Amino acid sequence: MKDRFHEEMANLKSGVLDMGFFAERMLSDALRALKENDCGLATDVKERKVALSEKNDALEEEAYRIIALYQPVARDMREIACALKTITSVERIGRYGKDIAGVVLSLNDPRPHDLVSALSLPHMGDLVLSMVDDALRAYETGDLSRIAHHSRRDDVIDALRHTIFREGITYMMEDPRTITRCMNYLMVARYLERCADHSCKIAEKVHYMVTGEKIEIR
Amino acid sequence: MNADTILAADRLSLWYGDTRALEEITMEVPDRRVTALIGPSGCGKSTLIRCFNRMNDILPGCRIEGRVTFHGQNVYDNGSDPVTLRRRIGMVFQKPNPFPKSIYENVAYGPRVHGVRDRKELDRIVERSLRRAALWDEVKDRLSHSAMSLSGGQQQRLCIARTLAVEPEVILMDEPCSALDPIATAKVEALIGELKEQYCVVIVTHNMQQAGRVSDYTGFMYLGRLIEFGETTQIFESPANELTENYITGRFG
Repeated sequence: MKDRFHEEMANLKSGVLDMGFFAERMLSDALRALKENDCGLATDVKERKVALSEKNDALEEEAYRIIALYQPVARDMREIACALKTITSVERIGRYGKDIAGVVLSLNDPRPHDLVSALSLPHMGDLVLSMVDDALRAYETGDLSRIAHHSRRDDVIDALRHTIFREGITYMMEDPRTITRCMNYLMVARYLERCADHSCKIAEKVHYMVTGEKIEIR
Repeated sequence: MNADTILAADRLSLWYGDTRALEEITMEVPDRRVTALIGPSGCGKSTLIRCFNRMNDILPGCRIEGRVTFHGQNVYDNGSDPVTLRRRIGMVFQKPNPFPKSIYENVAYGPRVHGVRDRKELDRIVERSLRRAALWDEVKDRLSHSAMSLSGGQQQRLCIARTLAVEPEVILMDEPCSALDPIATAKVEALIGELKEQYCVVIVTHNMQQAGRVSDYTGFMYLGRLIEFGETTQIFESPANELTENYITGRFG
């Protein structure tokens, strides 16, 4: 019976990872669509929202089932707690990817999008994606070194968002025709900052799963 | 020693012949709390609680080193009287073992042995003990019936009432629910929660969920040693010792 339990725990974990990387890909594809003004890719990302939501529901159900059947304790209990919190965070990350795809589609502007790069959005996106990826890898392997600097990395993201906000205002004042686009890009920066926060939430839960100690990353 | 410690083991070791069953156990049992002992079969949990009221003395070839203190007094001192000790530290066993007598007589037996003769006084003790054991309402109209007519769960609560009748301070329970169905188990568990208002309870259990539900402190034993002792929430959420972790998560045992 216990073997079956550990098998189910392993399945839950691989399900959470699958969903995590699925959400991460939604975000990275949305950022690529933004950079390359690729409405086809943006539409595709938007449509993945349904699958994301289904994965979330199935994993949540599975976690509840394991709790009800086996009443896990100690590390097993912490692992399930971590799985449940992680799927909530990765679902948010995937949905921010969908929101960024929505920005691409709403602007639907064939002109070159130099403002995207001028505002350092791709750079910010890369940093955030690496934070999400490291949090998921830490969940996969239990290797806490991957999330050891999340607090500092999150500070960098916060500072970057602030800079982008200031720069955006400058562009808008220079040329009011950029206001709509700039406002949308500032939203993107805000979404990315939230994704970094969610990667910190995952990191907190992974730390708890591995050590039993609750920490706050801020 | 902590102020609320009522019972303590200090480097307690026990041998059955050449076999060492307990190895330098040191622990403090707090008053008015439930302390659970868990661990795989043969790890020494029952042996340990039997040391607390000197139930091992009668076994041939049994040798004890170290100290067990009750209110700071070593229970193995020469002047210590095991009969008095067992009145103050009562015990409930795995299988309900009522005497083949009436319900009333089962509860009145202990006080009688200890010299209570007055019928009214005995009536009071019987009612109070049965109430505390959450059995009064179920048996008050048939106190003269045989204890054997009761269900298993009722018999176990009768045994608890019998223990309470002699006004103990500590109640030791050796797997009190392992012979009971889930409903009777739930009743005994609820009772344990009430008993700790007035008594110190030490329970040996194979059922880890039960330890998690009823106890304030949990000790994990393995091969005669106390591996980890701490607050139950800590033991079940993040045990400090890997052996504890492996046992409670079902990776061995």
